[in-house]
Amino acid sequence: MSDALLSVRDLHVTYHTKGGPVPAVRGVSFDLEKGGSLGLAGESGSGKSTLAGSILRLLPYGTDIEGQVVLDGRDVLSLNPGGLRAVRWTAGAIVFQGALHALNPVLTVGDQISEPMLVHKTVRTEKQARSRTVSLLGRVGLPDNRADSYPHQLSGGQRQRVLIAMALACDPLLLIADEPTTALDLMVQAQVLALLADLKREHDLTLVFITHDLSVLTYACKRLAVMYAGRIVEEGPSWEVFEDASHPYTRGLAAAFPTIGDLSSRLAPSGLGGDPPTPANLPVGCPFHPRCPLAQDACMTAEPGLRPSGTERRAACILV
Amino acid sequence: MIGLGILFVFVFIALAAPLLADIRELNPVFARAQGNPQWAPPSEFPPLGTDYIRRSVWAQFVWGSRVSLFVGLAATVLTIFIGSVIGIVSGYIGGKTDGGLMRVSEWFLVIPFLPLAIVLASILGRSIWNIIFVIGVTSWPSTARLVRAQVLTVKQRLFVDRARSLGGTGWHIVSRHILPNVSGLILANATLAVPISILTETTLSFLGLGDPSSASWGKTLEEAFVNGAMIRNAWWYFLPAGIGILVVVLAFTLIGRTLEEIANPRLSRER
Amino acid sequence: MHPGVSPLVEVEDLYVHFGAARAVDGAYLQVFPGEVLALVGESGSGKTTLIRAVQGLQKPTSGEIRLEGKTQADHHDPRVQMVFQDPTGALNPRQTIYDIVAEGLRVRRERGDEQDMVKEALSRAGLRPPEVFMPLYPHEISGGQRQRVVIAGAMVMQPRLLLADEPVASLDASIRGEILGLMRTLVDQTGLAILAVTHDLGLAWNIADRVAVMYLGRIVETGQTEELLNAPQHPYTKALLSVVPETKEMEQQILRGEIPDPTRIPAGCRFHPRCPLLQSGTLSEATASRCVADDPGPVALDSLTATACWPVMAVTGRTPDA
Repeated sequence: MSDALLSVRDLHVTYHTKGGPVPAVRGVSFDLEKGGSLGLAGESGSGKSTLAGSILRLLPYGTDIEGQVVLDGRDVLSLNPGGLRAVRWTAGAIVFQGALHALNPVLTVGDQISEPMLVHKTVRTEKQARSRTVSLLGRVGLPDNRADSYPHQLSGGQRQRVLIAMALACDPLLLIADEPTTALDLMVQAQVLALLADLKREHDLTLVFITHDLSVLTYACKRLAVMYAGRIVEEGPSWEVFEDASHPYTRGLAAAFPTIGDLSSRLAPSGLGGDPPTPANLPVGCPFHPRCPLAQDACMTAEPGLRPSGTERRAACILV
Repeated sequence: MIGLGILFVFVFIALAAPLLADIRELNPVFARAQGNPQWAPPSEFPPLGTDYIRRSVWAQFVWGSRVSLFVGLAATVLTIFIGSVIGIVSGYIGGKTDGGLMRVSEWFLVIPFLPLAIVLASILGRSIWNIIFVIGVTSWPSTARLVRAQVLTVKQRLFVDRARSLGGTGWHIVSRHILPNVSGLILANATLAVPISILTETTLSFLGLGDPSSASWGKTLEEAFVNGAMIRNAWWYFLPAGIGILVVVLAFTLIGRTLEEIANPRLSRER
Repeated sequence: MHPGVSPLVEVEDLYVHFGAARAVDGAYLQVFPGEVLALVGESGSGKTTLIRAVQGLQKPTSGEIRLEGKTQADHHDPRVQMVFQDPTGALNPRQTIYDIVAEGLRVRRERGDEQDMVKEALSRAGLRPPEVFMPLYPHEISGGQRQRVVIAGAMVMQPRLLLADEPVASLDASIRGEILGLMRTLVDQTGLAILAVTHDLGLAWNIADRVAVMYLGRIVETGQTEELLNAPQHPYTKALLSVVPETKEMEQQILRGEIPDPTRIPAGCRFHPRCPLLQSGTLSEATASRCVADDPGPVALDSLTATACWPVMAVTGRTPDA
């Protein structure tokens, strides 16, 4: 517990919208030890992106955040603006989805990678920033001359690499990757995942990987937590959770990523009925019960907490 | 809301003109026959005094509102109609047609408005219909460009592809898909174009190009100015018309801005 | 495989060029009635351009598309309907569900009771009871339901062929299975054929009878789903399968670089600059030089199982146009 780089305790995040308060994260707790890797799987409305944003307090002004987020010994949620700036990018950095709008279209890629270095005074002169930028580009597999390109001149895969380089600009301890391979082709996705694995090893990074693609997490992370309706509903070692889920939702989600060669899924697509719940309108009791094939009466009244479901595994279901 | 309220008041005034003021009061001969004083302030001749040839200013205000509003609305209808049709045709068909139409619109945009309007008005003669025509024919380009831009955006949307894949012809796509998604913008634009038309009519009337036989606020202002109302400090002559224009323009602008806000998020909302 | 049954759709020698960009560069394809063919490829492979050409949304530069034996003219044939990748974008936000589904009928001026046909299509697509959904607007229903509306709008035309462009890619993962299951059910119930374009091999495994792999404008391998996905022949297919996280027991072959620009298609076999087989050095000199210099040509029209690859052809003795 004490050597956890990132410790989240009972996090609650509520947005304030015209339609009233919307609880996006409802009591999430987890620890991540230094050098570890945690995957956060979830679909729309699960709260995973909100959770990612709250680690560095990157949520819209006026959002209610309660709980504790301790990163490298500092409680992010109670830092003053100066302390927060010091933490952002140097202790923890985010890699966003490499869509065109994640990068400023009127600045060159090199300038954008250098920017955090100069802001956080990781380097002292522009020349140093430039040389560090070039070496970072090389580290992520891009040629030097790309530093002078504009985002629209790069392919999706290349932009994703640029975002990774930008996140590494100030040598962070924690890397949060928010859907970094969604919208990328299969082969490019494999390249980016391999790159992340290499960089993690080289820099001894701690990784939080957020995606809806459960199968990618089994490859990229040691541990996996599945989110549903603002809470973690299952967690454990990635492969185990994927192959042999305890929670019915995880089972349904995993079925969307059939194993090729497995005859039981051949011509038998399987999934869950209904739709993921919207945070503004959660069902009473266990939020999954309307879609759950194993729902019982008790599920409609009380929301189960996480309980042990195996070695180093937990699931929020009364059937566990 | 405020805008709508104000507008309602003025429309009422315009429509109820016969009830509010006797139209004969606009006739100088009648006014003389009535024994109206000249240049009488409201204290002497309620509610708004008289002008240099003894006519009731109130009558001019009430009846003038009709002309101003009518010309403003009619001219806007013409502008919007021409602008929308050209914008939609240009945006949807694209290619050389689009290029040609846009060059024409640029021609109109580049030529300074007032000289063009003056020239046209002088050639065509001074009547309400000509004023409406002049305004309509010179104001359509900005509407056209706005509509065209929106059409280009809508044309890219996937549901247009879907309509084409179902076998929809150009007419079907334009009427069922393009138009409904452009109409919000057109309406908002129209509402903002009305005050411009009203002001344009006022300007043209003020410059003496208006219809000599009708009363309009612009004409009132022109006559007041020409006949020295400013010098005489006959505020009751030029203020009502001026304030009337101001308030009506404000009303339409308020409505138009609200409509724009409503139209835009709906158009750009993807969810 | 389909003895005596003639194909529903035939794409022959199709070229779609956008100036110097050769998006589709010699493609041959067949789809038989009642089958699901998955056209697999990455972006830049030309797969979307190909089905847009089959649908009639894209004019080919040259080549023929035949429907039930007859060449397609320019207009859109109602026997071919499309399901789109983005169900939210595919629906006009100002139209009710009823109008959206009825649109195809109205455009074609179909005879018959419109209301009945719309209700039936909505039910078939799993939106029951249909009366509840008919007056709603797209923003009032969920993503999965919107895709069902798109499917209903296609099915109401009683198509023989459904073209699906990444039908579940924009949907939440947990509901994909249901939509895919629906598509398979429609095939079983109506004898419909589906040509599904996707980059997701898992989708192919889930619902496809046959798979065709596309690379840089051409089909490079085609075959029965189980055979092709369990024992791929073409080095590109092998590499793709190896990086799918769900595939086990396969050593990852991560190709370097990205698919080349369609304006600069490599000479010889268009895959050769990235080919792991060529780079492994295990090929004979003769074969290796063929890979670099000679174009193996596209997979032929009537081959149901073929691979456009010199080393493979050297082993199997087959040429792609045999």
